[in-house]
Amino acid sequence: MTGSRSSSGVRIRQGFFSRTLPFWLLLPTLIVLAAVQFYPAFYSIFLSTQEFQAGNMKYVGLRNYERVFSTSTFSDSLFITFAFLAGYATLTLVSSFVVALFLNRKLRLSSLYLTVIFIPWVLSDVIVGLVFRLFVVPDYGLLSSFFADPALFGPPNGVSILTTPPPPQVVPGIPLPPAPALIYLIFASAWKAVPFTTVLILAALQTVPREILESASIDGASAFNSFRFITFPLVLPTMVVALFNLTLGGVNGVGMVFSLTNGGPGTATEVLSFLLYTIGFGRLEFGRAAALSVFMAVINLALILFTLRLSRTGRA
Amino acid sequence: MSTKRNLVLAGTTLALAFLVACGGDATPTQAPTRPPTEAVQATEASQATEAPLPTDTAAPAAEAQQFITWYQYDEQNEDPKSDERVGNAYLRKTIPLFNEQFSGKLTWVNQPQAWDKMTLALVAAVQGGGEVPDLMHTGSGELVTLYNNGAVEDLTDWIKSMPWFSDLDPNAVQACTAPDGRIYCVPVSEQPQLVFYWSEHFPNGYPKTPEDFLKQAEELKQKNVYAITYFGSTDFDGEGTTRYFWMAVSSFGGTFDDGQGNMRLNTPENVNAIEFMREIVAKGYSPEIVFAGKFQEEEPMKTAEAASFPTGVFGYRYVNPLKSPSGKEYNTKTEKDMLDAIEAGDVKLSSFVAPEGQKPSCGLSVSGFVIPKGAKNMDGAKQYLNWIMDPQNNPDWVQAPGAGLPALGSIRAAQTFQTTFYKQAIEATAGLCKPWYGSLTKLPDAKKVIATAIYRLIKEDPTADIAAELTKAQDEYNNNK
Repeated sequence: MTGSRSSSGVRIRQGFFSRTLPFWLLLPTLIVLAAVQFYPAFYSIFLSTQEFQAGNMKYVGLRNYERVFSTSTFSDSLFITFAFLAGYATLTLVSSFVVALFLNRKLRLSSLYLTVIFIPWVLSDVIVGLVFRLFVVPDYGLLSSFFADPALFGPPNGVSILTTPPPPQVVPGIPLPPAPALIYLIFASAWKAVPFTTVLILAALQTVPREILESASIDGASAFNSFRFITFPLVLPTMVVALFNLTLGGVNGVGMVFSLTNGGPGTATEVLSFLLYTIGFGRLEFGRAAALSVFMAVINLALILFTLRLSRTGRA
Repeated sequence: MSTKRNLVLAGTTLALAFLVACGGDATPTQAPTRPPTEAVQATEASQATEAPLPTDTAAPAAEAQQFITWYQYDEQNEDPKSDERVGNAYLRKTIPLFNEQFSGKLTWVNQPQAWDKMTLALVAAVQGGGEVPDLMHTGSGELVTLYNNGAVEDLTDWIKSMPWFSDLDPNAVQACTAPDGRIYCVPVSEQPQLVFYWSEHFPNGYPKTPEDFLKQAEELKQKNVYAITYFGSTDFDGEGTTRYFWMAVSSFGGTFDDGQGNMRLNTPENVNAIEFMREIVAKGYSPEIVFAGKFQEEEPMKTAEAASFPTGVFGYRYVNPLKSPSGKEYNTKTEKDMLDAIEAGDVKLSSFVAPEGQKPSCGLSVSGFVIPKGAKNMDGAKQYLNWIMDPQNNPDWVQAPGAGLPALGSIRAAQTFQTTFYKQAIEATAGLCKPWYGSLTKLPDAKKVIATAIYRLIKEDPTADIAAELTKAQDEYNNNK
């Protein structure tokens, strides 16, 4: 009897264990996710409704959101962020596509070119920002005299990348056209991002079946039409993935702004991520920073949904 | 059924994990505190018996207690090119001396921190329940932020019971006073703002009035020399507010506040000051690099391409090497360059210009110490502070990490401060300087709002209506404070 009870107990335990096995296997991951993802996310939402006053937290409702959204810096920053994203993603994708097309032609030493072209990707944002800054420091930078040429960049003193204010606003209240510093920031950011995107697109180009291209050629398709109707549609899903990567990196990245322009001149390059950094870690206004971070999470979510939609369109 | 059970199990475990994570955090409504250590209890006892000096404090412990400081200086860094070499060398020399004097009682351990991240690091440590030092070197400009975030101890009762308290400059004590009227830092060194200028470019001394300045600036321009270089950008979240912008505004009789905690920028004095600053930019009397940020405005002063440079008294450490207008080089690439140039009369110190009927003014900050909430060895911190305030040790501290003038009145007579540099600095700033923020309490916000408004008016849009822009800026601050 004892043996029978014992074996039945073992069976019950074994049955329970095998039934709950998936749960136990998932548990460590769930705990890690809860600790590093869900808890900080919920805590940020909680923090966005609080304010520190003489060391004590005080519930302030949506006041932090109001304080963030009512400043001119925020609205400027929002437009600057979208201008930056549009320029950065477009320039990077187009440049990467062109470079990938060249590398796909199996030129001599193309593996060497690929290695060399990959170097910017391995440098840190801060280093790239500092180097690009040194090129254009007024009066002292390597390229500052080039940009200061009135014949090329307009009288009286050409352009000083780091200090020339943005041109007058076309629509009052919208900080566009961008300042030279923002254009330069886009260029520097794209320079760093092009290698990775190039590799992604190159990989996609190499999966385009050669037979289809050859058939099209035999059927009399021009090179442009082959590209337009065969190559591009097949590469499009990869480009959507690249766009996804670029937009999220562009919205959340702060290192390049920090080292290259520090938000200046004035607030001309103060993108949302930089504003978040300064409010949170510069001014130690954690409540307001949390409110802004919640807003940025919404933007991120919108961008993700947008790119996913594009991705479905690409597949269709 | 098993799916349901799994879901219930997963949900319960996650909820438990979440609760544990939340519970592990410090109570958010109160800064975390540690149970009082023996040292703290000893401090309280020693306060009661009013025993200020190291030799009079609580009975020596059997074993030396660790006493931890946070400085922006690092005694391990022996790089002669480091910007912080003076403070680094001071710690290298002083830590062994201190530890010898306090042998068996205290062992001083320094944990170096980045200068612009110290406040954040301390607030994060206090609020997150992390390890905090027993004492942190900081400036008065950080005090309100530290106070607002509940990161520092109230030192009022202790500091007022110290024998050296009555010798402190009241302005320095005021700079260490938080909005609640309590004292939260110990001022050791005053860092007033003044003007460094090349005497060859201003042979008759620095101009006294704005009109005189503009006249001489035009003459210098004819010789391809900029009359002035300054921190004109919005960099470092509006650091320019505390420097040239405040020096100009206060010298014109202006202020940034109404004395009641509100920002008030649109005043005739402020408008006049901004018109003056605007003219300097418009007429090309300052180089473009003043708007580049990252302290790069110092470069033209080093080469005498700019004739003057308003900055903190500590600026002598960072502006090197130097080449005078006549080509004489000071090239040790250390703080010695500026001190030698001043000694030789090539560079002189002055107060800023002021309109007829006004006295020149300048910014004042204080360098000193705070005791963080949760400090384990508060007694050690107080013994150290008393040691720093001792006339034997104070001049060295003021000269090296303090990088300024003594907050203790009697120390100004010390031999250390009888050099040409210190004499000129004291003369140029005596009784003229005051903190830029007045009654404002949201200093980081105020700094950025003011710097952005002034930058826009003098550089970005020099035709904008000054009064309207200033009103807009002050409303933005007042509505969001």
